[in-house]
Amino acid sequence: MPFLEMRDVHKRFGGVVALDGASLSAEPGELHALLGANGSGKSTLNKTLTGVVAADRAEVLLDGQPVTLRGPREAQARGISAVYQELSLVPDLSVEDNVALGVEPARFGFVDRREQRRTVRGVVERFGSAFEGRLPLDTPVAGLPPGEQQIVEICKAVARDPRILVLDEATASLHEAQVRALFEALRDLKDRGVLVIFTSHRLEEVFELCDRATVLRSGATVGTVELAAADQAEVVRMMLGRSIDRIERDRTEAPEARRVVLEVRGLITDRLRDVSFTVETGEVLGVAGLQGQGQDELLEALFGAARISSGEVRLDGKPIHPRSPRQAVRERIALIPGERAREGLFSRRPILENLTLASVGRRALPGGLLRGARERRAAGDAVRRLQIKLGRLLDPVLTLSGGNQQKVVVGRWLLTEPRVILMDDPTKGIDVGAKEELYSSMRRLADEGVAIVFHSSENLELVRLCGRVLVLFEGRVVQVLEGDQVTEDRLLEASVGVDQVPG
Amino acid sequence: MTDEAAAPSAPSSPVRTAGRWLADHPAAVAGIIAVAMFAAGELLRPGFAGYGQILNVLRVAAFLGIVAAGQTLVILSGGEGVDLSVGKVATLSAIIAARTIDGGNDLMLPGLALALGACALIGLINGLGIAFLRIPPLVMTLGMIAVVQGVILIYTGGQPAGRAAPLMTDLVSGRTVFRIPGILWIWAVVAVGMVVLLRRTAFGWRVHALGTNRLASGLSGINVRRNVVAVYTLSSVLAGLGGFLLLGYTKTVFLNLADGYMLPSVAAVVIGGTTLAGGVGGYPGTVVGAIVLTVLESLLRTMQLDEAARQIVNGIVLILLLSAYGRQARLRQ
Repeated sequence: MPFLEMRDVHKRFGGVVALDGASLSAEPGELHALLGANGSGKSTLNKTLTGVVAADRAEVLLDGQPVTLRGPREAQARGISAVYQELSLVPDLSVEDNVALGVEPARFGFVDRREQRRTVRGVVERFGSAFEGRLPLDTPVAGLPPGEQQIVEICKAVARDPRILVLDEATASLHEAQVRALFEALRDLKDRGVLVIFTSHRLEEVFELCDRATVLRSGATVGTVELAAADQAEVVRMMLGRSIDRIERDRTEAPEARRVVLEVRGLITDRLRDVSFTVETGEVLGVAGLQGQGQDELLEALFGAARISSGEVRLDGKPIHPRSPRQAVRERIALIPGERAREGLFSRRPILENLTLASVGRRALPGGLLRGARERRAAGDAVRRLQIKLGRLLDPVLTLSGGNQQKVVVGRWLLTEPRVILMDDPTKGIDVGAKEELYSSMRRLADEGVAIVFHSSENLELVRLCGRVLVLFEGRVVQVLEGDQVTEDRLLEASVGVDQVPG
Repeated sequence: MTDEAAAPSAPSSPVRTAGRWLADHPAAVAGIIAVAMFAAGELLRPGFAGYGQILNVLRVAAFLGIVAAGQTLVILSGGEGVDLSVGKVATLSAIIAARTIDGGNDLMLPGLALALGACALIGLINGLGIAFLRIPPLVMTLGMIAVVQGVILIYTGGQPAGRAAPLMTDLVSGRTVFRIPGILWIWAVVAVGMVVLLRRTAFGWRVHALGTNRLASGLSGINVRRNVVAVYTLSSVLAGLGGFLLLGYTKTVFLNLADGYMLPSVAAVVIGGTTLAGGVGGYPGTVVGAIVLTVLESLLRTMQLDEAARQIVNGIVLILLLSAYGRQARLRQ
């Protein structure tokens, strides 16, 4: 009899079926991956287990006993802890207080600080190498870099001594060393008999860490595989229900009629040091580098969202001075921001408005009057071009899966008919299938003559899509790779400063 | 969960479907509450829900509804938006109008223009302070109450003078077809204008966007500050219009004529289903909200409670109503 068994889980949100008979079965002391394309129901299944989402119908058995999970507290009481990409930390409290929050050791109703420190230190020490310098037990969480905050969130879950630990895209903001530390700690938990349910869009991580994987597609379970005996292509095929070629290069070939659209010379901002480059029509220019080397600031500066201290930006040969996003929009520059929920989505508004907002002014009659049919047609156009899967245009955008939400953000900009699109890691947190669709949209846009500046934290994407890649290191362009030079190896070398020959 | 013998797809009994629909349409819930209160009043005292009485309730609700129109915009636009100065601004509007017009029909339009101009200026200052100096709306508009009060005292010397033009009184209180007082037609025009503004203009869509996510609004090329300034300016102008019309009803002014609309205007918006966090809601809800508040007041009078008891019951009912609206339809996380 399996330790955890979920059977026949059904859930729908409005018109969208999220889970349609999904199942999962796992043992204690197992590292179990949950895999699936965008909108396949991974998150919903996770949240059903952690009590955050109430299934329409489900059978959940723990140790063979049927259980009903009516909320996160009830799930926690049964030993189920969860970590999501979104953090639940109190920014002003110290790391120690955050980890202990809700499970403070108490004596006569007072928090026993010494005991608390001892237990929290025990947990955080397991992740010691994930922190720079000493353990930051007394540092307010707000003062830590995002990756370390994520580790603190994981510590918080581990401090609850769970029997089941659910990690849903918990590695998205971690750098390499932190992922190592996390994996070590997870293997340790496994040895203590904890069941870890692990979701990540980075397939390599899953193969490296996990024992078995349950694959979901369209809300139903396709199968469970022993990862040691499977290869990545096979698992991807299960997720997609079709095969994809491993690395096909989607770069657009240089047509003769190319001309320079965007020209940047000597750009200096708080974090950029003398950055110069050009982008041509129909080009996808890559921006690479380790996390936080100024990539996002480069895009924001071009979009008027970060202050430029000096330097020149020319659009079609004409100097521009991007001082606000509004000006950038008027110059037909678009930015797909890196943090979708915080910077891109109007979560409670309908899909329709999310799609049309940036371009609504140009379709309006004098006085700002809108014509409903025209707005719907514009939105429908974007939905078709990006193959957005939705129930109705008037549903809140939050009812969509992550990948489709991202497509809505892209669609908003398509409707402004941009000359330059700046993309800040647009595939972060979305999975293979949605990524593929986004890539082909990018290629099509480039073919239509749009210039794209594409920052990605996944080098493989840059290899696939870009004929030319700028590599940033501490705010400088340390190398420009072109054509056949653009390989994962070369990108990595350049990112860490190996082979520093100026491009 | 055990093996339920539920239907294969989503279970949807008519009752649950209706429940879900109501959760998504709080204005409809408010409407049902209003009708229920009319019915309760009719049982307590026959005639409460008579035609004349309903017209009377609507007429009283109209002034609140017009003052709360601007409040709807402000709350929708988010950023902890609230305009506590609407009551005082409405009072100022009435005072300026009364003194300028002083019973002369030909001075009605200049009086209206002067009053609304003064209100627009106050709203503009509110908006500039909130958008550019980043003063929290609660603080800015609360402070503005004191400023406007001072302006009123200087302007009137403590003794408000003048009166409404007869034409104003005709427009507001004059009976038209089916004995409908003019103010209801004016309210209808305001309501249609508000709905068009919010649903059918680029400005309206931007206000909703601002209320949901200011950062994303800015990054989508929306001029956040200009729109926030416009929202607060409009709020004051609509409050001023409410004060002007109220003058047509009362014919003379007092120093605190419309001050009492401050909190009911917020309550009407929230009862109408506009979320205090911003981004979701609309004016039809506020119309119903204003009616609910007015019927409630009238119902409590009918029950012949004394003033103190009436206030307590009024407060409790408000808390119950407002807290019921804190519950949002659940969405995918």
